[in-house]
This record gives sequence, structure tokens and C-alpha cells, in this order.
Amino acid sequence: MNWLEWGFFGVLTILVIGGGLAVVLNRNLFHSALWLIVSLFGVAGLFVMLSAPFLAAVQVLVYIGAIVILIIFAIMLTRRMMGISEAPNSQWTLGLAAAALTFLVIAMTLVLASNGANPLIPREPLTQIGGESLRDLGVALVDLNQYVLPFLLASVLLEAAMVGAIVLARGEE
Amino acid sequence: MIDQAALNLGAALPATLLAFGAAILFVLDISIPQERKARTAWLAAVGVVVSLVISLLQINQQETAFFGAFRADSFTSVANIAALITALVGVIGAKDYLERAKIQRGEYYPLLLMTAAGAMFMAAANDLVIVLIALELLSIPLYVMVGFRRPEPRSEEGAMKYFLLGAFSSGFMVYGIALVYGAAGSTNFTEIFERVRFGELLSPALMLIGIGLIFVSLGFKVAAVPFHLWTPDVYQGAPTPVTAYMSVAAKVGGFAALLRLLTVAIPTFVVGDLVIEPNQTLIVHAAWQDLVAVIAALTMLLGNFVAIVQKDLKRMLAYSSIAHAGYILMAVAAAGSFTVVANDFGDTTVTLTIAQEALQGALIYLLAYAFTNVGAFAVVMCVEREDGSGTEINNIAGLGQINPLLGGAMTVFMLSLVGIPLTGGFVGKWFVFLSSVNAGLTLLALIGVLTSVVSAFYYLRIIVKMWFETGDFAPFAPRMLLLAIGFCVGGTVIVGVLPPVVTNLVQYVTAAALR
Repeated sequence: MNWLEWGFFGVLTILVIGGGLAVVLNRNLFHSALWLIVSLFGVAGLFVMLSAPFLAAVQVLVYIGAIVILIIFAIMLTRRMMGISEAPNSQWTLGLAAAALTFLVIAMTLVLASNGANPLIPREPLTQIGGESLRDLGVALVDLNQYVLPFLLASVLLEAAMVGAIVLARGEE
Repeated sequence: MIDQAALNLGAALPATLLAFGAAILFVLDISIPQERKARTAWLAAVGVVVSLVISLLQINQQETAFFGAFRADSFTSVANIAALITALVGVIGAKDYLERAKIQRGEYYPLLLMTAAGAMFMAAANDLVIVLIALELLSIPLYVMVGFRRPEPRSEEGAMKYFLLGAFSSGFMVYGIALVYGAAGSTNFTEIFERVRFGELLSPALMLIGIGLIFVSLGFKVAAVPFHLWTPDVYQGAPTPVTAYMSVAAKVGGFAALLRLLTVAIPTFVVGDLVIEPNQTLIVHAAWQDLVAVIAALTMLLGNFVAIVQKDLKRMLAYSSIAHAGYILMAVAAAGSFTVVANDFGDTTVTLTIAQEALQGALIYLLAYAFTNVGAFAVVMCVEREDGSGTEINNIAGLGQINPLLGGAMTVFMLSLVGIPLTGGFVGKWFVFLSSVNAGLTLLALIGVLTSVVSAFYYLRIIVKMWFETGDFAPFAPRMLLLAIGFCVGGTVIVGVLPPVVTNLVQYVTAAALR
């Protein structure tokens, strides 16, 4: 890695770890959910650096686009939760122990794997699941022979959903 | 270079025109001032009529569009006609009602067009992915329309219930699609059919579970027992024009997709090997038939018996619509029988004549039901008070003397819902019962006939109330609403007196896979 890559790596690491810490330490549940986006974005960036752009795209689409949005919706639906600025957690020691244990297991697996001790993980890098499949994904959405009709229908559906949400949410005129 | 022949946009015109017309109408509506929202209604009605005319012109077309993902055949056209008739009444009947209830918002009309387009895409879908997205296109605007009367609590409650349960049922569909894909390796109906025919399924059990999950989701949409629990609350809470529209449009979409999936992808799906002697003719029942038949029987029984004790017109019609879903499910079950003929050497040929009859029966039923049920709800709109109350059965007392035209129309609708000869309901039930008997489901047909007799009790009670009791109220009867009711009466009577009108419409409908 040259100094530029080191720089990027450093920034992404700060995003991932800093974001993760902010999620845990924040006292406002809603802010925690927002910080989660930052952390997950960092992970997507790490995937890009590992030349796995497909995983990065999926990371953004699925984790940020769907899961975090779902969490935010859940928080917004239970309105009382939004105002809470104290998030009491009496079992934080238990959580800490579980997190530390998980981290240890993953780290051990990786370290052993790089020494060739774990037969489940191949030592050579897998064939790159990179650019090609990502391009396939994009092409499939606009290729007339593949998913163009669902894609068009989805756009109409999104418009209907957006207008519907506005109709339901706006006040009396 | 785009292959225009395979894209075949013209064949898919009715549905695409409506969907993108609705998208444009959203924009046009912004420039229409609040006191002139009737213009949006007119524009929407024009769009529906144009689409209806194109569907009628395409009645005997047998084509595919969008490279095989979209089937533009006569099944699609007939389902389109049923959806569009409903949409037309939903638009022109709602105009004055929304004005009076002070919920005249221009978004109502394009949202309604989008749900109609969703139902039409469901009917045309030849791929599970499109079924899913079209189902959402049908559902999401409906959730909003149910809540159109907000902040009225019952309307909000209905919308919330419908949304939460609907989202849950969509989850079933996604899971089911994943399992079917796992079993067959494709989401395309034609390809699934090939895999089933040549016994190339990875796991028949996986397939059966997947189909079951998809059936749960579509059963929810059409209000089949035991997925019907939302129906009475949502139908009662929604503004009445929305109830009128959704009671038919959601069924058209749900049943069209169900029939398409079952008769195109897996009409010949049997678990285990078929034993057949030379020179023998067998009627074989597909693996999913028993399940559908049981659900159909439960739906007819529960819908009709619970409707008897209802005191509110909208709730009664809600249970009645559950019962009618049962009758259509009877035709769906009948589509699961097919004939296998073996020649002297034991070579077999499969014919889907029974499934074809069942398809035609279901479509005739849907057409007759569309006119009748929307009409009945339109009369309820007239009886209802400004604030949405006054829909109890006692409120309709004396309607025959106060306004004989409305009373007469409601009488026609009630007789048609019972299935009295010379009404559309009779013709629909005739073909559905016939296909059920031909498919070897005599017991199911018997349950259908008996529950129809039971249903006469609560439908005729309305007629007695209207003509032989006295009441004192001024029905809400603007010209457009009366026109819509007249249109429905006309449709119900014409289908009843001249069945060839509908039998000619559906004569080109075939069990598509073996074409």
C-alpha cells in the first residue's frame, strides 16, 4: 500500500470504529441510528479497497438503504422513543463481554487462516467477484431482455408511494 | 438495436398507458386549483375509457410483450376490462362524494389509476418478480386511499390495519418466490412449467411450500378465509367509493395473478409418479387443488354465515365479498384438474380443457361481480350521511318509496348477488359451478349451492327493508353518481339476460401454457 491508500484506509477506519463507538455511546436512539449509517459506509469503503465493488454496492443497498432505514422507521413509529435522550442500559457489562468474545473469535479465525491453520478458508484469494458481476447487475436493470419491466414498474410504484405518503402526512389546507 | 417485435409495446398498451398516464396526471393535478378538482376526475375518466377501448379491441390477441415477461392475451384483456369498469365507476362515482365529505384531493384519481394499472399488470405478469411489484403497485395506493378520510379514527384505523397486515402478507410472497426459485431455478412462468413438465424440479416439497406461501399472500388480497380478518374493518373505515373500488379491483388483481400462476406455471404439478394403463383416460388432480378447494369451502361458509348477523351495510357487504371470493376460488380449484389420455402404446397426452373452462368461468364471474358489487356500494354512498355515518341496515329502510330508481337499482344488485336468473350473478355462478362439477369437485359445488341459499336470507332482507318499511331521509343523489349506478345496473342486467355478451368475450381465453 502506498501512502495514499494508507490515508484512505485511515479515514475509513476512523469512520467504521468512530461511527460504531458513536452508535453505542450516543444517548439518543435516533442519533445512534444515524451514526450507524456512517459506520456502515466506512465498511462499504473498505470493501472497495479490497477490490470487491459488488460487496460494497450490496453493503450500501442492503444495509444502509434497507436495514438502517427500517430501524429509523421503527424508531419514528414509536414516537416516544424519539424524545428519549437517556438510553438506560443496565446490562452493558454483558454486552461488552459478548462483543469482546465475538471479536476474539473472528480475529483468531482470521489470524489462523493467514497462517494456513484453518482449512476452511482458502489461502489464495478467491476469484475476484468484482467489476463484471457489478456491471451485470446494472445492465440487467436496463436490458430490455431482463428486468426492464420490473424496473419501470418499480419507478411508478415509488412515485405512488411518495405521493401517498405526502397525502397522508400533510396537514389540513 | 432494440428488437421491436419482442418488445411489442403496443400489445401492453392498456396497462402501460394507465400507469404512465397516472404519473403525468400527478403533475397536471398540481396546476388545477382546489375548487376545480373535478377536472382531474374527468382527465382520469378519459384515461380509463381510452384504456378500456384498447382492451376491448385487443380481446382476441395472443401475444407477449417485454421479451416474454408480459402476456398480452385475451385473459389479460378480460381482466383489464373488469378492472377498468371498476376504476371508471370508482372515478366518476367518487367525484361528488369526495366533495361532500370535504376530502376532495386531486391525488385520489391518479392513485386510483395506479392501483388499476397494478391489477392489470398482475393479470399480465408472466414472471413472479412482476407479480410481486404489480401487487405492491395495487396495494400501496390502496392503503393511502383507505386512510383518505383522516383524521377520522375509523378511516385511520382501517388504513393502519390494512397497511400492517398487507406488508406482512407481501413478506409471505417474497419468501414464497424465493422457495419457488430455489425449486425450479427460474421465476418465469413458462420456464417453471417446462421444469415441472419434465420433472426437473430440485425438490417438489420446496415447490409446494413456495406455492403455498404465495397463495397466502394472494389469498390475503382477495380476502379468502383464514386471511380475511382485515376485511370488515377496512371496508367499513374506508371512504365508501374506495370500498366499492377495492372490493372488486383487489380481487381482480389477486385472482388474475393466482389463476395465471396456477394455470400457466404449474397446471400439471403432481407430486409422485403417475400410473396409467394403455388406452386409459384419467382425470388427474394437481397437487395444489385440495388446498385451494378446502380454502374455497371455508371462505364460502364463513363469509355467508357471518354476513347474516351484520348490522352495518358496509360490513355486511364486506362479508358478502368474502363469500364471493369463495365462489371464485371454486373455479381456481377447478383449474387444477386435467385430463391425461394414453394411447395403445402407453404414450400420454395432457389436455387442459377443464382448466380452460374454469378460467373462463372465473372471468365471467369477475365481470358480473364487478358490475354488481360496485353498484351496491354506490347505492350505499347515496344512503350514507355527510359525515360517513348512517350506513346501518336500518338506514336503508324506505329507500324504495323515497327514491324508486335507487331502490330498484339496489334490488337488482341484491338479486344478482344471490344469483337469481336474469341477473349477472346467476350467469357467473352457473359457469363456476359447472366448471367445478366437470373438474370432479361435486362436493365443493354442492357447498356453493347451499351457501347461495343461505346468502338469499341476508340479501333479500335488504330488499324487504327498502320496499316494505318506511323511512325518512333524503338520499344523496348527484347526477354523476346516478349515471355510475345506471351503468352498473345496465351491466348486471345485460350480462344476465344476454350471457353471450360475456361468453363471447372470454371465448378466446385458453389455458395458455399448452398453446
